[in-house]
Amino acid sequence: MLAWLGRKVGGALVVLWLVATAIFIGVRLIPGDPAEAIMGGPGSQASAEALAAARSEYGLDLPLITQYLMFLAKLIRLDFGTSYALKDPVLQVIAEVLPPTITLALISLAAAWLLSLIFAMLAMRATRAGQCVGNAVEIIAAAVPHFWLGAVLIMLFSSMLGWFPAVDNGTGAGLVLPVLTLALPLAGFLTQLMRDSLSTALGSQFALAARTRGESRLTVFWRHGLRHAALPALGLTGWAFSSLLSGAVVVEAIFARPGLGRSLLSAVLSRDIPMVTGIALFSALVYIVVMALTEAIERLIDPAGAES
Amino acid sequence: MSPLLEVENLSVGFAGQLAVDSVSFELSAGECLALVGESGSGKSVTARSLLGLSGGKVSAEKFSVLGQDATAMSERAWQQMRGNSVAMILQDALMALDPLRPVGREIADALKEHSSLSKPERTAKVREALEAVDLPEPAWRMKQRSSQLSGGMRQRVLIAQAMIGDPQVVIADEATTALDSRLTALVLEQLRALKNAGRAVLMISHDLAQVAQLADRIAVMRAGKIVEAGDTDQVLNRPQHEYTRTLLRAIPSGVPRFQPLSLAPPKAAVVAQEPAKPARMPALVVEDLSKSFGKHAAVQGAGFVVQQGQTLGLVGESGSGKTTTARLVLGLERPDTGSVRLFGEHFAPQREAQRRYLRENIGAIYQNPLGSFDPRYNVGQLLTDALSAGRSKRGASYRTQVSRLLEQVELDPALGSRNPRELSGGQRQRLAIARALAPRPKVLVLDEPVSALDVSIQATVLDLLDRLQQETGTSYLFISHDLSVIEHMSDTVAVMYRGSIVEQGATADVFGDPQHEYTRSLLTAMPRLR
Amino acid sequence: MSRTAKILGTVFILFWLLTALAPGLIAPGDPLAVDPAQAFHAPSLAHPMGTDESGRDVFTRVIHGAGDSLYIGLAATALGMGIALVLGTAAALAPRWLDGAILRVLEALYAVPSLLLALLIIAFTGPGVGPAIVAVGLSTAPGYARLVRSQIRSVKNSEMLEAATVLGRGTWLKVQNHLVPNALRPLLALVTLGIGQAVIWAAALSFLGLGTPPPAPEWGAMLSAGRTYLHLAWWLSFFPGLAIVVVAAGATLIGRSLGGKVNAA
Repeated sequence: MLAWLGRKVGGALVVLWLVATAIFIGVRLIPGDPAEAIMGGPGSQASAEALAAARSEYGLDLPLITQYLMFLAKLIRLDFGTSYALKDPVLQVIAEVLPPTITLALISLAAAWLLSLIFAMLAMRATRAGQCVGNAVEIIAAAVPHFWLGAVLIMLFSSMLGWFPAVDNGTGAGLVLPVLTLALPLAGFLTQLMRDSLSTALGSQFALAARTRGESRLTVFWRHGLRHAALPALGLTGWAFSSLLSGAVVVEAIFARPGLGRSLLSAVLSRDIPMVTGIALFSALVYIVVMALTEAIERLIDPAGAES
Repeated sequence: MSPLLEVENLSVGFAGQLAVDSVSFELSAGECLALVGESGSGKSVTARSLLGLSGGKVSAEKFSVLGQDATAMSERAWQQMRGNSVAMILQDALMALDPLRPVGREIADALKEHSSLSKPERTAKVREALEAVDLPEPAWRMKQRSSQLSGGMRQRVLIAQAMIGDPQVVIADEATTALDSRLTALVLEQLRALKNAGRAVLMISHDLAQVAQLADRIAVMRAGKIVEAGDTDQVLNRPQHEYTRTLLRAIPSGVPRFQPLSLAPPKAAVVAQEPAKPARMPALVVEDLSKSFGKHAAVQGAGFVVQQGQTLGLVGESGSGKTTTARLVLGLERPDTGSVRLFGEHFAPQREAQRRYLRENIGAIYQNPLGSFDPRYNVGQLLTDALSAGRSKRGASYRTQVSRLLEQVELDPALGSRNPRELSGGQRQRLAIARALAPRPKVLVLDEPVSALDVSIQATVLDLLDRLQQETGTSYLFISHDLSVIEHMSDTVAVMYRGSIVEQGATADVFGDPQHEYTRSLLTAMPRLR
Repeated sequence: MSRTAKILGTVFILFWLLTALAPGLIAPGDPLAVDPAQAFHAPSLAHPMGTDESGRDVFTRVIHGAGDSLYIGLAATALGMGIALVLGTAAALAPRWLDGAILRVLEALYAVPSLLLALLIIAFTGPGVGPAIVAVGLSTAPGYARLVRSQIRSVKNSEMLEAATVLGRGTWLKVQNHLVPNALRPLLALVTLGIGQAVIWAAALSFLGLGTPPPAPEWGAMLSAGRTYLHLAWWLSFFPGLAIVVVAAGATLIGRSLGGKVNAA
């Protein structure tokens, strides 16, 4: 267990280091003055003093390797610099916007899981025609872009029916539409996966063996089917979470929610490199943590499989 | 005493097709009935319908289980019966136990369904059941998943799972298939204990030799019908039906070399080759071969000689290192020590480019040939590819050669345009043999070539291999876990155990007077009819 | 794949090709023709998808937008797949240490969510069609590369190739006859699935104002513009989005019938 944890932490550090290095190279690849690039690109018209300050802060007059080491040293101290656009330390901004995004992503993940479990269960009982409809719904759900689904949901439930607000008003109701926007496409993916593994599990020899022990169809579903349906979907959690973070950029824009995605978008629009760097590193960190957590859960469900 | 199972004209249909067609039998306490048939004979469907799990449309004139009319039983009543008074042991223990749940809980599930015992009481009973089947360290093992247990332990768990409800009828559905002989002996011994304890045992199997040891009566099934039924002695020694005779003839143990197991090939007798003279150079010489994977020593110092035109049978249980040996001989793995020489030429260890010219002399056939075929090729393309050494897959100039190869392995040349996936298991294996023969090799390495086939199909493929050896003088390295196949096919035998060859010699010597303790234990466990 | 599925798939692809290459054949109007008097007409016979805030015909714009949207999607997939083929093949065939190194790099890239990676790239390059293609292409590359690698490895380690070795085939013959065709075939399905996803990502970038700039009739850009009038004129957002859904779902269907897995990219 300890060895596993050590391997995970080591792997995470390598990944973070590679992301940081890629960003460092990326910044240096921007044509023109790197100081200008850091301060928002050629169009930013940063003052000469600001450029000079940036040069000395980032050590741009030093040799490249020294710059690189300085950059890494700062990152190790969690010093991501100051946001050029917001004038606040990057770390502080991220600390503010990370929680709402993570909350949104986690609730959406849970909702997607719940929806796909229900769909997968319904599909088990469905007739042939019903399965065809289910299949079509899944594919369409998986093909719906977040930005369009968000708009359609606002149109339906906010403008026309008035059930849920389009903009968060502090109550839980404001979360419903953003969560649905994120969860529905993901549920489309997960349902397909769960249905496949569920029908494999329920058609397997061990399911038959369970029936010969006198278990009812329903008991077999709960005791055996669910576990086997959950495992491959669980293995996809890392990917799912990552796609939710992608979706959050769009959803936060549509529903005017504060969060990591929205901050990233405005940072990109103003070419605020320190902010962009910080957010990229943090989202990589989030992905790594989620991956490690799912792996830990997989080991709980399937200790034998995790070892091989 | 009235029979526990009474079945009269039972039929089971799937979408209008009858999988079981008017089958009748009965089974009383303390008795063992064997339903014998090949794949698709309807024997498993029959077994499942006895638990109300056939999944098809069941009809019968009389169908009573433990005195209850099964044609009118509710699902609820079935559930109360399953695992309680009628239990089933399924074929593959690895597949029949949920890989995600501890085996102890799998066993306890039956108690959960049928008793009001508390959790500690259930645990205690599961432990008892595991002790009863001689599982070592039951308290610890019951917390493990099936994939963490060895094959023998899994098999014991599976039996314990069936026994936990103290059933009156036990159905063993191919419970010994694909097990090596010692595990088979273990299962048979457990079933015998059940029978002696007054339970009714219904054995479903494809193997007449195995059921002969235990069954009081045998019913032979084919295409959904029982073609012959009677006392074991009568069915085995005075078979009435032609199909029963085919099955009996197909059992290879005790049949001398080159004597056909099937009636199929009425080919003109080929002039048998002179028995190989030992003065000739051996076809394959393997010396001191070793291979480890990490800390696991798969093969340790294996050495043997295959004489020209002869067959060496390499026999051992699963995991004994047979397949690794085959891969080393074929140059697919690099040996840690030792060497392989092919007609005196150095074959392994050797750089691939330098031994490639030797490759046409050695071919390979696997248990499941489908994986070794390029899925994009049809039968004709596959053989053209082999004949043209990979330069063509459609060349018309090879057409006659392709037909000749197909005829040589007794396949209809019209199959040339089919995809191997559409062929039956026996046809696929023939195709694999045809492909291996294309470069006219002098040595064939056959790794479990008939283990996935039905007995009667196995017989025809073995006959084919015999015929080809007589016609072409090809030498075989024949690898199998099945002692009876090895006995029939081999001139010399090497017995492998935990990576080492523990005994080798002429077939008659090894089978008649085994020297090593392990060989003896294998042979005692081997079912024999002759 | 069934016959009907084949026909439907072919018709679908031909329709969108025609739309992308010769939109005038289907919608003869000018997608940029402004007519303020005609603004905000709801869908009718004259304007099957209504008109936008400047009185432009939405149907004409959606049809003419196919070219741009599909072009970005195709180009991005081609770029991503190209990079993936190089990296994935290298990793699959390379010695262990190089394979490990490439895997680590891919893992690092994969750790940053696709859209965030795309935004990161745009932060360096600035917005525009070219950057959008590069961003979407690069951000999908790591996922593809891992699949290419595992695909090639599974074929490389297959019994099929061992059988070819035993039959005495040289390396070149094995690669040419078995490895390449068998590894590439599933990738075709993957590419089809990927195009659908790339169209979505590209439209997302335009939607966020980082891809095709207005007033070009690109679907994402149209959606973005229509969002302002969501409460007033739903058709402005609905139909361009519908076009994306149709393309993406169609690509998914075709990809799946070719044997692809949905979660691949």
